[in-house]
Amino acid sequence: MSKEETPEKKKKGFSRRKFLKNTGIVIGGGSLLLYFGRHKLRTFAAGFIADMDLPSGVSNFDPDFWFEIMEDNTILFKSPKVEMGQGIFTGFAMLAAEELEVAIEQIKVVPGSSVNSANDMAGTGGSGSTHSLYVSIREVAATMREMLRMAAADYWKVPLEDIRAENGMLLKGSESMSYADIVKNTEQWKTPKTPDLKLASSFKYVGTERKRIDLKPKVMGDAIFAIDTEIPDMLYAVVQYPEYIGGKLKSVDSSEAESTNGVIRVIREDNWVAVVAKNRYAAEMGKKALKLEWDVEKTWQQQDIDELVKVGNGRTVKLQDKGSASSVIKDDDIEVIHQEYRTSLGVHAQLEPNGVIADVKEDKAVIIMGTQAISFVKRAVSKAINMSSGKIEIRNSFLGGGFGRRYFKFNAPEAARISQILGKPVQVFRDRESEFTDGYFRPSSHHELKAVLNDDGTVKAISHTQATGDMGIKLAAGKMGMNIMGADFISAGHGAKFLYDFPNKKAYVEHIDMPIPTGIWRGVGMFPNGFAVETFIDELARKANTDPIEFRLKHLYSDDPIVKRMKNIIEILRDRSGWNTPAPEGVGRGFACGEDRKTVAAAAVEVQKIDGQIRVTKVTHIVDPGLVINPDGVRQQVEGCIMMGISASMYEGTYVKDGQMTATNYHQYPMASLMDTPEIEVIMVEGSAKPSGVGEPPIAPMAPAIGNAIFDLTGERQRKLPFQLT
Amino acid sequence: MNISFKINGKAVTVDTDPMTPLLWVVRDELSLKGTKYGCGKALCGACSLHVDGELYRSCSLPVKYAENKNVTTIEGLSENENELHPVQQAWMDINVPQCGYCQPGFMMAAAKLIEEIPEPTDQDIKENISNICRCGTHPRIIKAVKKAAQLKQSQKVQSDE
Repeated sequence: MSKEETPEKKKKGFSRRKFLKNTGIVIGGGSLLLYFGRHKLRTFAAGFIADMDLPSGVSNFDPDFWFEIMEDNTILFKSPKVEMGQGIFTGFAMLAAEELEVAIEQIKVVPGSSVNSANDMAGTGGSGSTHSLYVSIREVAATMREMLRMAAADYWKVPLEDIRAENGMLLKGSESMSYADIVKNTEQWKTPKTPDLKLASSFKYVGTERKRIDLKPKVMGDAIFAIDTEIPDMLYAVVQYPEYIGGKLKSVDSSEAESTNGVIRVIREDNWVAVVAKNRYAAEMGKKALKLEWDVEKTWQQQDIDELVKVGNGRTVKLQDKGSASSVIKDDDIEVIHQEYRTSLGVHAQLEPNGVIADVKEDKAVIIMGTQAISFVKRAVSKAINMSSGKIEIRNSFLGGGFGRRYFKFNAPEAARISQILGKPVQVFRDRESEFTDGYFRPSSHHELKAVLNDDGTVKAISHTQATGDMGIKLAAGKMGMNIMGADFISAGHGAKFLYDFPNKKAYVEHIDMPIPTGIWRGVGMFPNGFAVETFIDELARKANTDPIEFRLKHLYSDDPIVKRMKNIIEILRDRSGWNTPAPEGVGRGFACGEDRKTVAAAAVEVQKIDGQIRVTKVTHIVDPGLVINPDGVRQQVEGCIMMGISASMYEGTYVKDGQMTATNYHQYPMASLMDTPEIEVIMVEGSAKPSGVGEPPIAPMAPAIGNAIFDLTGERQRKLPFQLT
Repeated sequence: MNISFKINGKAVTVDTDPMTPLLWVVRDELSLKGTKYGCGKALCGACSLHVDGELYRSCSLPVKYAENKNVTTIEGLSENENELHPVQQAWMDINVPQCGYCQPGFMMAAAKLIEEIPEPTDQDIKENISNICRCGTHPRIIKAVKKAAQLKQSQKVQSDE
């Protein structure tokens, strides 16, 4: 049985009684509230904002708290952002330790719940957690350190400047006491003004190599994910959603399911059917025994999707228009270089299927799950069970992979509804088939790129139009929001613009209303757009008889700081990867780069044909995410992006056949395995004093770099994802 | 039906449908949550564990086949927390996991591999472990398996001396 904390209704301020009761004390209150209040108006859709400074979305509408000092002098850090493998808990602990004056090992980071930590309206995503909380975490930590010092000064009755905080201890001359001791001895807390932060030059931890703070539990098998969690008297349920695209539940024959050994009840609601049982096996067997009929208005085929997701079919939003690209690029002109690109529907395929516990009582509901978006879940549950959101608590867990999957289709509303009907706690869990066929998908996309070159082989004008489905607008702003915005230029259109200093350039995104639920996937629009744009650039370089790297450098000359950083990393990568040395026989080389949320990344890739199969054999990857907090944490993310990039570009795609998705489990959705692991070198450059995102940007160059390398090897241009390899 | 076996050295008896996958018994009846459910079709390896020293994907192994046998899960791989199994030690040294969900399965597969092939090459590892990881820990897994093999060899040398 996994241990679950009893939620404690928190109060403003602190009291000795509360400490005794909880063996911990809440540090928080007025000053922190004030600080986070500043973000209040900036939270809308923050998780998806890609092209502006990403607000954290974290705010304190209640007097929430971040830290608790435990009796053993460890510090509990209740993170508003969730750990899904991206390593933020480690980085957060490093940042907090910096100002708290404690060892990193003294800090224990746990996912905050919707009632015991700072509210997070934006969710965990957009590669924004570290970047958006880089200052906040240190300010909260510094504030807490000052509160402890002030309390110690009062206790010893000396001026504040006589008190030092070091290694979790408060020192006055040769006397000392622990943070926990002063907490025990303090009745009245004083809150300071937000203190000045340490200068980067005096950082103790930031920039040093740290192993993950969640390493040991993850190695010992002790890390508890949502699907692992149990609460007493919990029942299990699986839900059958529509088996066909757009399917409406017509009839249910549940007699066989209900007589399955261990099945307790079959529940039909709106457009889904749940089988509730005393254990998982019975629930699964019961689901298999359901006989359901669906009304299907249209039986979709892949061809229908391809015809739908096509430039010209959607509502257009302009992303970029510099110079006069339209008048230079004339469709009937033979000078115009014109290419089209396509990407398939993609699945997140995270290893932990979604599992949600709901315990709904008359006046209180507790939801335990792994989500990237607590606030969205709360809203959805509130609606499903018609309960005010103030009575709903969402507890988060470690996420067995996120990649955007856990922004959507939470299962929480269904779980809450089932628990409400039964009057008992229930875990709704997804089987893998449900994850593959009824999740949210990376929308397919179609891209048209056109360009005219000058006589000297430089670009005179260029244009890009992308047609694709929604990635996040509907979730954040609803259908009406989508109508107002026109197209999802924030997420899906991300990366469609040109960073290069082309004199005439324009970019559009077209919104296609797809019949399949679509959403964000690692890198959002950067993944398909980066593929289309950077493959096209490679094609232009070949046309211009220019080395692909030199071609790009020629078009990166302005004083824009991002352009300068991009130029810098490309030059370093060119020299470090051996790009200018002749490639050995049988080796194809490709290059691509991408800018994503102020992080620039580039990759030089080598491919070879091994036993008749093309494989990526070497990747030299360079990333400039600004300030690096934990180099090994960044390295892990880059490695992850390299492998996911190889996987998605070489193999991954799901398709529509007879109204259903073709991939139902991993055997029908091939992914990269250990066999696909290339030799990898990761280079990090710190081109800014502030951190920017690192979870997604490194994937930007992967698909085009591999495709360009395949062209170099075989002469066959890859204009579709996944690649069409013979 | 009552089925008895040993798990991580401890004798247990469970009353269950004999066709129930061993995975669900281990996780839900015996509350050992380190063995993970990933696909239910023996495709991803997240549920890998050992039965009498052999590697199995427990989502597809009915519990009746564990009767009177010795089951080892990730929780029982190391003797104790201070004396880690070479695979878990190597996983620590190389800082392998990201989300961590697939890692127990990989470690169980790796523990079996280094018994079969005491000095595995990259190719041996690539060909013999077909588990799925989505975070992209593959390069570190390969490094860690080699490191684990070395640690195991040096332990062996020490105990021989």
